[in-house]
Amino acid sequence: MKTIIEGENIRFSYDGLEVLRGIDVSLGKGRLIGLLGANGAGKSTLLKIICGILNPKSGRISYNGREIAKMDKREIAKKVAYIPQDSTFGFPFSVAESVLMGRAPYIGRFAFEREDDWQIAVSAMETVGISQLRDRLVTEISGGEKQLASLARALAQEPEVMILDEPATFLDVRHKSQIMKLLMRLKGDRGISVIAATHDVFSTLFYFDEIILLKDGTIFAQGRSEDVLREEILTAVYGMRVTVKKENGKMFVLPVE
Amino acid sequence: MLFVLWLLIALISIFAGTYDVNPIKTLISGDELSKAVLLKIRIPRVIMAAVAGGTLAISGAALQALFRNPLASPFTLGVSGGASLGALIAIRLGLSQGFLGFSSISLFAFLVSLFTIFFVYSVSKVRGVVATGRLLLAGVVTNFLYSALILFIQFFSDFTQSLQTMRWIMGSLDVVGLDSVWKTLIFAVPGCFLLLSLTKEMNLFALGDDVASSLGVNVGRMEVTIYFATSLAASAVISVTGPIGFVGLIIPHILRMILGVDNRIILPCSFLLGASYLTATDTISRTIVSPIEIPVGIVTASVGGLFFLWLLMRTKKEVII
Repeated sequence: MKTIIEGENIRFSYDGLEVLRGIDVSLGKGRLIGLLGANGAGKSTLLKIICGILNPKSGRISYNGREIAKMDKREIAKKVAYIPQDSTFGFPFSVAESVLMGRAPYIGRFAFEREDDWQIAVSAMETVGISQLRDRLVTEISGGEKQLASLARALAQEPEVMILDEPATFLDVRHKSQIMKLLMRLKGDRGISVIAATHDVFSTLFYFDEIILLKDGTIFAQGRSEDVLREEILTAVYGMRVTVKKENGKMFVLPVE
Repeated sequence: MLFVLWLLIALISIFAGTYDVNPIKTLISGDELSKAVLLKIRIPRVIMAAVAGGTLAISGAALQALFRNPLASPFTLGVSGGASLGALIAIRLGLSQGFLGFSSISLFAFLVSLFTIFFVYSVSKVRGVVATGRLLLAGVVTNFLYSALILFIQFFSDFTQSLQTMRWIMGSLDVVGLDSVWKTLIFAVPGCFLLLSLTKEMNLFALGDDVASSLGVNVGRMEVTIYFATSLAASAVISVTGPIGFVGLIIPHILRMILGVDNRIILPCSFLLGASYLTATDTISRTIVSPIEIPVGIVTASVGGLFFLWLLMRTKKEVII
C-alpha cells in the first residue's frame, strides 16, 4: 500500500501548553482512518497540521515524501482538502458559489472561474446530492446541508486526501450515515484517502479501516479497527466503561455506565 | 454602467453651483473668472469627491470582508478617528512642510491610523484568532478616546482655530486646485489596488480562517495587508476631507443587496458607486441652501442614515448579514 502522508515525531504547543507530544502517523492511499480521543486530546490540532494550516513546532509531516511546511499553500490545497466541524459562512454566498470556491487553488489572482471549473463544481454537488440546493444561500440552509456543501467544496478541490474534523457531530442519524457512506464511496471509487476525527464512537466506528486513538497528545493505540477497539483500551481513553459488540460483522461500542 | 453613472453625476456637479459656469462656453471664450472657478474649484472638487467616496467605500468593503461583519468600516474600527487625530496634531503643531514630498498631515494621519489598527488588532487577537466582537468593541472605544483627545486639543485652541477644526471634523470636500487631490491619490491609489488584488482571498476568508488557509490563502499576510492598505487609503482621504462617515458602511451594503456577495465584484463596484454617491451628495450640499455650503459629512450621514433605515424596514424579513 502506497503511503501518502507521513508524520514523524510531531510536537505542537499553544502558549507553552504542549498538546501534541511526539506523534507518528502514516496514511495509506484509499484508506479511511478514524481519529478518536477525548476532548482536548489533540485531534483537531493534529488534523490542522496534516493539512498545513498549522506548522508543527518540531518533527516533520510530508506528502508523498515532500515536507508540507515547505510546500506552496496552493499546491497543498490541490492535494489535501479540509472540512471543519462547524461550517461557517461569513457572508450569504449561494451554495454553488461556496462549492466553486474549492476551485480557488486552480485559478489566478484576478481570474474568474472557467467553464470547466463550473462543471467540476456541478458534478461535486451531484456526487454529494445537493444539486437542488445550488441557488440557495449558505446562511439559510440547515446544519446538515451546510456540512454537505462543505464536502462538495472539498470535492471540487479534486484532492487525494480529505481531512474531516468531526464531520457528523451535529448531524442527525440520517445525515450522519449519508456522510459516512459518501466517504466510503469516495474511497472506493476515486481512491481518496480520508482521516476523520470523531467523537461518535457509538454509531460510526464500523465504517473505518483503521483507528488512531489519541490520549493526552500521544498515540495510545493505532491499528485495524478490530485490533484497537477493545474494551480495556477504550475504557482507558475515555475514562468510562464501555463494551464492544460485534453484529453482522460490524463493530459497535456501547456505554456500560 | 456604474462608471457612466459617475460620469453623469460628475457632469451635473460641474455645472451646478452658486457661481454659474458653463464649462463648454468657458473653455472656448476664456472668461478668466469662470475659468478659475471651473479649473481651480469645480473640477478638483468633483475629482476629490470621487476619490474620497470611492476610497472610503472600498476600504469599508475590505474591512467587512476581513471581519466577516457587514458593520465594520473605517468609521467603526477607529481608523477614521485615528486619521482625524493624526491630521489634527500635525495641523496644530504647524507641520505644514512635507517629508520626502508627502504632506506631514497625511503622514501623521496614516501613522496614527496604522497604530490604531495594530493596537485594535492585538487587543482583539486571542490565541491566534481575531474575535470580531472584541475587535468592534475595541474600535468603538478607541474612537471615543480619539474624540476625547480631539476635543481636548479643541479646548486649548482659539476661536478661529476651533471653528476651523469643527468644520474639518464635519467632513468637507472644500479643496482648491489639484494639490490636495494629488496628495490623496499618492496613497489612495496603491491602497485601493492592494485591496483589489486580494478580493479572491477575501471570498475564501468568509469560510473561516482554517478553511481559507486550507484553500491556499496565507491568512496572516492577507490580514496585515488589508490593515495596511485600508489605513493607507482611508487616512489619505480623511487627512484632507475630515471624517466623512457612512460611505464605507452603506455603499457595500447596497451593492451586496443587488449584486450578491462576491468581493471580486463588490470591491470595484464599491469604488464606482462610492465615487458617484459622494459626488452627488457633495453637489447637494453645495447647492441646496446656496450660497451657503453645508459640510458634506452632515449630508452623507443624513442621506445615508435615512436610506439605510429605509432599507432595513423594507427588508425586514430578509437576513441581511
